[in-house]
Amino acid sequence: MHSASSIKQKFLKKWIMGLQLCNSSKKNMTIMERRKAIKLSADLALASVRNCTTRWSRALVASASQNDDNQALLQHIIGSDAAKHKKASIDVVANSTTSVAKKIASKKILKRSWGIRRVRKLSNVALKDPPYSIAKRLVKKRTQLLKNLVPGGESMDAISLIEETLDYMVWLRAQVDVMRSLARASERLDGK
Amino acid sequence: MEPSSLTLAGSTDAALESVLTEEIRSLMAPPPESTSSFTALLELPRTRAIELLHSPEAPNSPGVAVPGGPAGPPLRRLGGDGGGGFALAVGSDLAARYPALFGEKNDSLETSSQKVKSEPLTESDSNPNSSPQPLVSDPTVENKGQRPTKRKDREKKAKASAKKSKNESSEDAEELPYVHVRARRGQATDSHSLAERARREKINARMKLLQELVPGCSKISGTASVLDEIINHVQSLQRQVELLSMRLAAANPRVDFNMDNIFAENMSLVDSNFPSMVMPFMWPEVQVNESRQPYHQQWQFNSLPQPVWGGEQDNHNFITPENSLLSYDSPANSVSLHSRATENGAMQVD
Repeated sequence: MHSASSIKQKFLKKWIMGLQLCNSSKKNMTIMERRKAIKLSADLALASVRNCTTRWSRALVASASQNDDNQALLQHIIGSDAAKHKKASIDVVANSTTSVAKKIASKKILKRSWGIRRVRKLSNVALKDPPYSIAKRLVKKRTQLLKNLVPGGESMDAISLIEETLDYMVWLRAQVDVMRSLARASERLDGK
Repeated sequence: MEPSSLTLAGSTDAALESVLTEEIRSLMAPPPESTSSFTALLELPRTRAIELLHSPEAPNSPGVAVPGGPAGPPLRRLGGDGGGGFALAVGSDLAARYPALFGEKNDSLETSSQKVKSEPLTESDSNPNSSPQPLVSDPTVENKGQRPTKRKDREKKAKASAKKSKNESSEDAEELPYVHVRARRGQATDSHSLAERARREKINARMKLLQELVPGCSKISGTASVLDEIINHVQSLQRQVELLSMRLAAANPRVDFNMDNIFAENMSLVDSNFPSMVMPFMWPEVQVNESRQPYHQQWQFNSLPQPVWGGEQDNHNFITPENSLLSYDSPANSVSLHSRATENGAMQVD
């Protein structure tokens, strides 16, 4: 696909930029540091290519910006869209740190108020059915897992969570493709 | 990722399809800017979206007779089973989200299924840089509940009787203050359960999309198992990223990705994707920091022209970057560049 590969190449370009910066800052890194640097640059490049229009990209950038070590890298990769990203990341940071608990609490209060009103109607529905309640519990558990997986997913309702997952999966796949080809190329070059 | 076949949804009723796309177009009054990278990457779900959009047309019978409804806001039946409404909900939401698919000023609606899909290709080509307009998550997330519901209900009304569609498209051009929903026979009709049903339908539609995306998930029925598969898939992708970064870290004693590496890597990328594209032409956009080591001077491709995406010849692409590369005065790399040039030439011949 024409634009798909152009996106991948954009991602690759930004990623390489980030890696170069990492390399120029530190001379000798252990393999762990290198891995971390690589992964970090890859994630940031991914998020920046996505232009911070999605929640998970903003969450990635925000979580990266909280760590002070990565500031230079962050600035470099994200530097071009600085204003947008800063605003977005500040937004996400504010959300994630302070108001997640509040959001959850408010949702619970809402649900409780609804539940009091609709308890009669709900009893008509086959909620007492054991399979149904079991399924509900399973689904709840799994959505919780998914929320932990997708960056920035903790404070989202189910609908946006699914959309974010959709988006995130596609981009993860692209990231894996690019990284795999780069790894293969570098291994081939080094004659391994 | 291979481009999926675009002829997936071409088998629907032309009249209904034209009506539907016209309806959608009237809903998407200002067509937002073209797609960013999402639809480009999201090839399969796009066709799936179109399929979801068009598939309920065939089984859906227009003009379903309304059983004597209650007084007050008119309640009409959803077409056929609930599947029609679901898919339409998906369609309207997806139309909101993939505007390039449905937002073109396309006059010939008869061949709309093909044209609508070919249009976003050209449009996404012309705008490779993603627009600031969000695609997946609207900035007005809080309004999300209301807007798609209204659109969906408008869709439902249009689907109910194809003959009335023209009137309704004129009616629904403005924002409706109230939500007019059709309730199925024998179901509760108060606002809470309706809203709940709308929400459930939305969730189910999106889960269908996710099912399409994850391989091997279409056969699984049941939300919990599908979610399980999705979680496994995402986890495996994340683990792959970790493994690959470890691999890269191990392969390079230092994190030095020079141009040879990039060229070779671009070859593999290009081979796997679109053959007529060459990456190095994008390097001119790179801003080089002067404090970089001289090793990194290769990045200064200021003299390279911007690529013409279509109709390039591979030979031409290959000669130009090599020439500009060779003109650099980095003696340490000249030898490697020569060797790499020959290797690239050899690789191209393959």
